[in-house]
Amino acid sequence: MKYLSNNYKLFIYTIAAIFSLSSCEKVIDLELKNAAPVIVIDGTISNQNENHTVRISRTIPFDSTTTFKGVKGAKVTLKSILGQSFAFTEVTDGVYRSSRFRGTPSLSYVLEVSADGKTYSAESTMPFPVVPDSVGFRTLSFFGDSNIYPVVYYKDPPKVQNQYRYILKVNDKLQGDLVFEDRFNDGNAVSDIIIFDGDIKKGDLVEIEMQTIDRNVFKYFFALSQIDGNGGPPVAPANPNSNFSNGALGIFNACTKSTKSVIVK
Amino acid sequence: MFNSKRFLLFIFLIPFFTFDAIAQNNYTINGVVKDSLSGETLIGVTLKFTASGQSGTSTNAYGFYSYKLSGGEYNLNVSYIGYKSINKKIKVNSDIRLDLNMIPENILEEIVISAEKRNDNIINAQMGVAKINLNEIRNVPVLFGERDVLKTLQLLPGIKSAGEGNSGFFVRGGSIDQNLILLDEAPVYNASHLLGFFSTFNSDAIKDVSVFKGGMPAQYGGRLSSVLDIRMNDGNKKEFTAEGGLGLISSRLKLEGPLLENKSSFMISGRRTYADAFLALSSDSAINRNTLYFYDLNAKVNYQIDDENTIYLSGYFGRDELGLSETFGFDWGNATSTLRWNHLFSNRLFSNTSLIYSNYNYVIQNFLEDNNFKVNSSIRDLNLKQDFQLALNNSHNVRFGLDLIRHTISPGSITSSATSSVNEITIEKRKGSEIAAYISDEWEVNDKLNLVYGLRTSSFFLFGPGEFFTYDSEGNTTSSRVYNSGQLVQSYINLEPRISASYQLNGFASLKTSYTRNAQNLHLMSNSTASSPTDLYIMSSNNVKPELADQISLGYFRNFMDDNYEFSTELYYKKMQNQIDYRSGTDLRGNTKVESELLFGDGRAYGIEFFLKKRFGKLNGWVGYTLSKTERQFNDIDMGEWFNAKQDRTHDLSLVGIYKAGERWTLSSTFVFNTGNAVTFPSGKYQINNRTFFSYPKRNSDRMPDYHRLDVSATLEGKPNRKLKSSWSFGIYNLYNRQNAFTIDFREDPENSSRTQAVQTTLFGIIPSVTWNFKF
Repeated sequence: MKYLSNNYKLFIYTIAAIFSLSSCEKVIDLELKNAAPVIVIDGTISNQNENHTVRISRTIPFDSTTTFKGVKGAKVTLKSILGQSFAFTEVTDGVYRSSRFRGTPSLSYVLEVSADGKTYSAESTMPFPVVPDSVGFRTLSFFGDSNIYPVVYYKDPPKVQNQYRYILKVNDKLQGDLVFEDRFNDGNAVSDIIIFDGDIKKGDLVEIEMQTIDRNVFKYFFALSQIDGNGGPPVAPANPNSNFSNGALGIFNACTKSTKSVIVK
Repeated sequence: MFNSKRFLLFIFLIPFFTFDAIAQNNYTINGVVKDSLSGETLIGVTLKFTASGQSGTSTNAYGFYSYKLSGGEYNLNVSYIGYKSINKKIKVNSDIRLDLNMIPENILEEIVISAEKRNDNIINAQMGVAKINLNEIRNVPVLFGERDVLKTLQLLPGIKSAGEGNSGFFVRGGSIDQNLILLDEAPVYNASHLLGFFSTFNSDAIKDVSVFKGGMPAQYGGRLSSVLDIRMNDGNKKEFTAEGGLGLISSRLKLEGPLLENKSSFMISGRRTYADAFLALSSDSAINRNTLYFYDLNAKVNYQIDDENTIYLSGYFGRDELGLSETFGFDWGNATSTLRWNHLFSNRLFSNTSLIYSNYNYVIQNFLEDNNFKVNSSIRDLNLKQDFQLALNNSHNVRFGLDLIRHTISPGSITSSATSSVNEITIEKRKGSEIAAYISDEWEVNDKLNLVYGLRTSSFFLFGPGEFFTYDSEGNTTSSRVYNSGQLVQSYINLEPRISASYQLNGFASLKTSYTRNAQNLHLMSNSTASSPTDLYIMSSNNVKPELADQISLGYFRNFMDDNYEFSTELYYKKMQNQIDYRSGTDLRGNTKVESELLFGDGRAYGIEFFLKKRFGKLNGWVGYTLSKTERQFNDIDMGEWFNAKQDRTHDLSLVGIYKAGERWTLSSTFVFNTGNAVTFPSGKYQINNRTFFSYPKRNSDRMPDYHRLDVSATLEGKPNRKLKSSWSFGIYNLYNRQNAFTIDFREDPENSSRTQAVQTTLFGIIPSVTWNFKF
């Protein structure tokens, strides 16, 4: 199914191109509305023993040349449903880090952020881990465009609903962030093809972080991908449903993760 | 509910019987009107009987008419656009069967201002209707030179294109699935080829196209916005002919002729595109092993058993095929067939019985060894229609009937081989029935006032077998119940009153008004901005209520200069209930709980349409303009505020001009302008995991750039009086190469990741086309 949707746009453009040979792209100047800044919270904790990070920022105008406007002096606390509490301290503007600890799969965590007199909280449940057995590569061609894509092989646990997220880096550069679910391949030996916009060549270092994520986090990232047309033709864009209360954008993701690096031969 | 329905039916029936009782007209005249050359029956021919006053009737969809007259002498005037009028004296002193043959004329050659009145548009109570004359659209320039009724339709006011080069359309603020598209009465569920660039209707096979955008007559129902009623050619009864065309991307061939002299004829018409022929030319094996084409086949036979009985059998089959060499296949298409029996119970009671089958399905196949799967999805209808048309007397024409439809929807079954990681999944089939009964009366109250009023009662029944879930307003499952085969899950009954009236101000101007209610029990699931062949239909259910629309409209119709110019303006307001939208992050594909992802809300659409047409002469054509607003409201979207629907386009202008430049040349041109679609653009940006995302304001609060385009075409007819008639059509789409925005995407600047840019994609720049058409 994924295979179809990822290529829907390509189909439309290919058809148009074949008929007209005149479909074209250009960068345009658009006057966009600038909405009042909204707080954005990007928090991830994992089952790895590491310093977990919460980044708090505000939305910035579309034409701004900066990318991150951190919110200083926020109070960030994390609690598990077992009552454990973890402190986060600000390391640079808007970036808050915990001491090293390992998140526990199956536990729910609540992240609470207080900034500018408002409190935002989100809950996420860390799923059980699933790790990739291996990473391979596959060449696919779409109407003459041949590309190499990474393939992640793993065994999906049967009879539970699983959601996966892949973060792909090629030669240390972030290339893609994709989510999958096991709706069509529950309990099977799965090979997820990581289709992304870039290209991989022989000798490239490909690093894939595989996360297991909870349902709300999946829906959040899936909604983001639909705006780009990854779920078929693009849907009407809107801010995805955040798991944060009080109108904050962003997501709190309690996930498990494991990383594999491979050099393309 | 049931009692009030019966009561209403009773009320509606009273006038018919009382009027029949007091009728003083003693004799009936009836017959069939045909084209004198091909023997094709003609639809909508006006017949006027003048002794005193201007009373008359018109032929129905099978060319049949019936009228009651008292004894005496009449001047009969028979007129139809594109044909020479017939004037004859008739003496009525008994029932008469009068079949008429009309001689076609080339309307473009006619410069003479005709003496007789051609003002049905003024007198008729029906409003919100447009007819497309197939001869007229022959010369309208189109994309790739492919004549296309659905695209020509979009040049009329109130009907808007769903997108660049797209055959999907929006009528008065309704969505694509709110149009009922009928081909010889069979519903066509996906009326487009190649993701929307072509319609499934091959103009060669089509005789008549009518579209109702308001004031929908009671015999039609099941959709909120419009009915597009397309009738296929019956086949030439007099001689065997072949016609066709060779174009840049497709070729067509139509054969027709008599099977039994004056009794039976056939028509068969086919079309195939060969876009993939270009692919095959490529030396790259990754390209030349791909497939991409569609084909259509229309066929019809008829047999006139005697003057009272005629049988028609018609069918359509069309398919799109897309394939990526050895990895992926995707094909979809419609198949419809219609068996009809016309029967005259008496010289004034016409009956038509239709048995209709329609099927739309798609198949997606992935051939990759470890991921292989095949998805099958379909919607299938079996439909029985019984329609009666009764000429009660010269002021009442009554129509009543029944419409029974059985829907079977297979949302999807996934099959895969043992080596595949994809599981076999089947989403339960759903079965439902629609039962509608209708009655309407076309009543000439007096010389000035005409009424069409009627009632349609539509009922819908959803049946088991299957497991049916009930969801709360958050989309959580609250209960589930397993139903046996044939067990009733849910039913809905709706009363749909339909009324329109015209009041003639004088011989050339009238005021019209109408009110209609429509209900819809089939809903197309599509949360994207474009339609896709994989969009799924669902039926009304325990979670999904029937969509309802109430529309009122008011119009002023006026003809100028001896009916040479026709002007109309219509004002409409439409209120829609139980409209459907989707939760954020909804994946409709292979979703067993689709209904949990739906949001329900309201819609409203209002506007004013202007239409000015020059009907005759060397230069003819029209101007259409619509000023309108379309909004939706859902409690879960933008905190329940009204927002612009994607169909909302403030201004919409079309100009069509056709000029007969001489014996053989015809020049034509169209110009369209519309306000850009309502869309949502980013209002800011932020980062998650070092990737830039955009924040969005209220839905559809921005606009795409204005859309405009000029197309031209020239047709050169072959030398006349030859056995082989041929013509060349040359066209240029988008003459001044306007870079209209098909999409605007936002992304990080590839040169500088701290910057963001807007990227506009234009689908079609300037595109020339050439087509050679022939007929012998």
